[in-house]
Amino acid sequence: MNIDLSEALDTKYGRSGLSCEVGPDAVELGEEHVLTIPNVPRPDKFLSDSFKGQEAEVLKFAHGTTTLAFVFKHGIIAAVDSRASMGVYIGSGTVKKIIEINPFLLGTMAGGAADCSFWERDLGRQCRLFELRNKERISVAAASKLLVNSVSRFRGMGLSMGTMIMGWDKTGPALFYVDNDGTRLKGNLFSVGSGSTFAMGVLDIGYKYDLSVEEACELGRRSIYHATHRDGASGGIINIYHVGEDGWTKISSEDSAQKHYQYKAESTEQASAPMVTS
Amino acid sequence: MSGDGCVAIASDTRLGQQYQTIAMDVPRMFKMHDRLFLGLTGLYTDTQTLYNLFKFKLSMYKMREGREISPETFANLVSSTLYEKRFGPYFTEPIVVGLDKDNKPYLCGMDLLGALACEPDFVTLGTSTEMLLGACETFYRENMNEDQLFEVVSQTLMMATDRDCLSGWGGVVHIISKEGITTKTIKTRQD
Amino acid sequence: MESMSERSGGFSFDNVARNHVLEEKGMKMPKAAKTGTTIVGVVYKDGVVLGADTRATSETTVFEKYCEKIHYIAPNIYCCGAGTAADTEHTTAMIASKLELHRLDTGRQSRVTTCLTMLKRHLFQYQGHVSAALVLGGVDLHGPHLYTVYPHGSTDALPFVTMGSGSLAAMAVFESKYKDDMTLEEGKQIVYEAISAGIYNDMGSGGNVNLCVITKDKTEMLKGYAKENMRPWRKSTPYTFPKTEVLTSKIDKPRTDISVVVESEKMEVSAS
Repeated sequence: MNIDLSEALDTKYGRSGLSCEVGPDAVELGEEHVLTIPNVPRPDKFLSDSFKGQEAEVLKFAHGTTTLAFVFKHGIIAAVDSRASMGVYIGSGTVKKIIEINPFLLGTMAGGAADCSFWERDLGRQCRLFELRNKERISVAAASKLLVNSVSRFRGMGLSMGTMIMGWDKTGPALFYVDNDGTRLKGNLFSVGSGSTFAMGVLDIGYKYDLSVEEACELGRRSIYHATHRDGASGGIINIYHVGEDGWTKISSEDSAQKHYQYKAESTEQASAPMVTS
Repeated sequence: MSGDGCVAIASDTRLGQQYQTIAMDVPRMFKMHDRLFLGLTGLYTDTQTLYNLFKFKLSMYKMREGREISPETFANLVSSTLYEKRFGPYFTEPIVVGLDKDNKPYLCGMDLLGALACEPDFVTLGTSTEMLLGACETFYRENMNEDQLFEVVSQTLMMATDRDCLSGWGGVVHIISKEGITTKTIKTRQD
Repeated sequence: MESMSERSGGFSFDNVARNHVLEEKGMKMPKAAKTGTTIVGVVYKDGVVLGADTRATSETTVFEKYCEKIHYIAPNIYCCGAGTAADTEHTTAMIASKLELHRLDTGRQSRVTTCLTMLKRHLFQYQGHVSAALVLGGVDLHGPHLYTVYPHGSTDALPFVTMGSGSLAAMAVFESKYKDDMTLEEGKQIVYEAISAGIYNDMGSGGNVNLCVITKDKTEMLKGYAKENMRPWRKSTPYTFPKTEVLTSKIDKPRTDISVVVESEKMEVSAS
């Protein structure tokens, strides 16, 4: 893409009058024209300069989050909270942070809400096109790669996205972590967001590959609950999804505040029960 | 918030470091004597420092004068103590709440430099000031009795803290009247 | 243990270094309340009329809707304050207390110029960091006086003055309507119009109009001279809530075994 920038160029980069390649090196990756890139020699620098100091307000809506997903014997569990914070203000307490890309693919949402929902919707479109072209469902590995290619084009330009793409394909359950730096990791257990450390603490203790579906759901729920409890930026409703051989199903949607008093009652019950020595 | 012959002060009970919740049983209100409370929002180290300082100052006052300090005098004491540190302030915004000698409610808020803002109806300070203010403006009524006051104060507190990432995790309400101090902890969301 | 010993007055800079470090580490400092004000004064035939609005702000929030910005200095001297609320309150209170002692010492009425000198010295000493912009008015043996004092310590003596964020709106009124030797009614009217101009045209000013009329023989505070911006209505019946769930409740009865004297005694001021 060669454009004569002799008139349009801002002299502050000291490049006026030059004709130059537009966009970062990754510009060939992914689909073009989904989102326009400013027509300047260093769009990443230009954008980060333009939004300097307002990232918190403008670009980071819904930054605080707890999301997790893990692979186990019977598929994958995804569990998320539902709080959208704008700084310290709670913008919404009922956000859907699990995005249903298609009946076999789920994506979670952490970071910028707009970035996540836009790019995952775009991913849905690309997956559908793949299906029409190839007469078979896209693999999770390929789908996550499409996503990472899409966001790589905009690396350093202020996208904020930390997502887990999961689903069931020919190879069985698969889980990938994708973020705005262009990271793409395959794994069995991830937790993303400001409350992820809290969730991970609970998750690691309870995680076994051989969990039943009920046990796995409860583990996810507990992990998210503990994160909502300790992390100021997480809270609201706990949503649980299960991915099985026949696609995903929504398991539950419960208020974390009610869960708190329920768990508390259960633990006092246990504590007051007579100790049994084995 | 003031009522008829009674006055209430309420706070949440969260202590946190940025977004991480450290403790959930830390109310920011301190009983200075039977008819006087001091609320100290903001940086917790300053809350503790100032509470100890005022406890000391009040003990000295009581010994010298042989009587308890009036809310108005105490508010001025807090104000001048804060203003002394005009160019290196304590990061705290205090509220002084009490009953004067005629059992009339006295309430007064301050900024971190000690600018007094005495109001007849209600004062709000802390991370969710604006949200509390909106709720108070709507739900406050003149001459509420103790029970009505409790309901309005606790509901107002919950409305605001449920929209604020940095507060909540339990609430405490003190109602001061000439019969004594009623202290209630309320059930709130825990996220 | 600085706090445990008696201090001799003046500012304490103990926390400055600590706060600097905290701020560098990214702690958000709470903002001080500002008056964001319209304050004015005018000399009329028999004395001085001072005027102020009643809004105090903290960034964009109205911190106090009906606050008092006309501060007492002496029975014959009052002072309107604009700028950082704490600075105006405490600076005027400090000068008032010094003048009170001075009066007890000399047994004479305080002069406005004494007050002016004390104020400008204090403000100049702090090089504008004590951000108080004042309108000082009073009547003493030399007649009526009206001054403005800027935060850096400079002063003006004028027949009509305005200060604060609404000063331009207020000055427009004075510039078009002021005349020499006005009557009391004319004086009050022009001050009311000037403050109203501030209230309605400046975002930082609002609420009611407070006036203070100082003459040779008496001082009259007219709080709420105009109340055009009171809360228009409030739902007459209370709202009903689902009953708040109470986890614990306890009542602390005051101790009755000790009696507490609550009446205050008059401070002894006579020399005998």
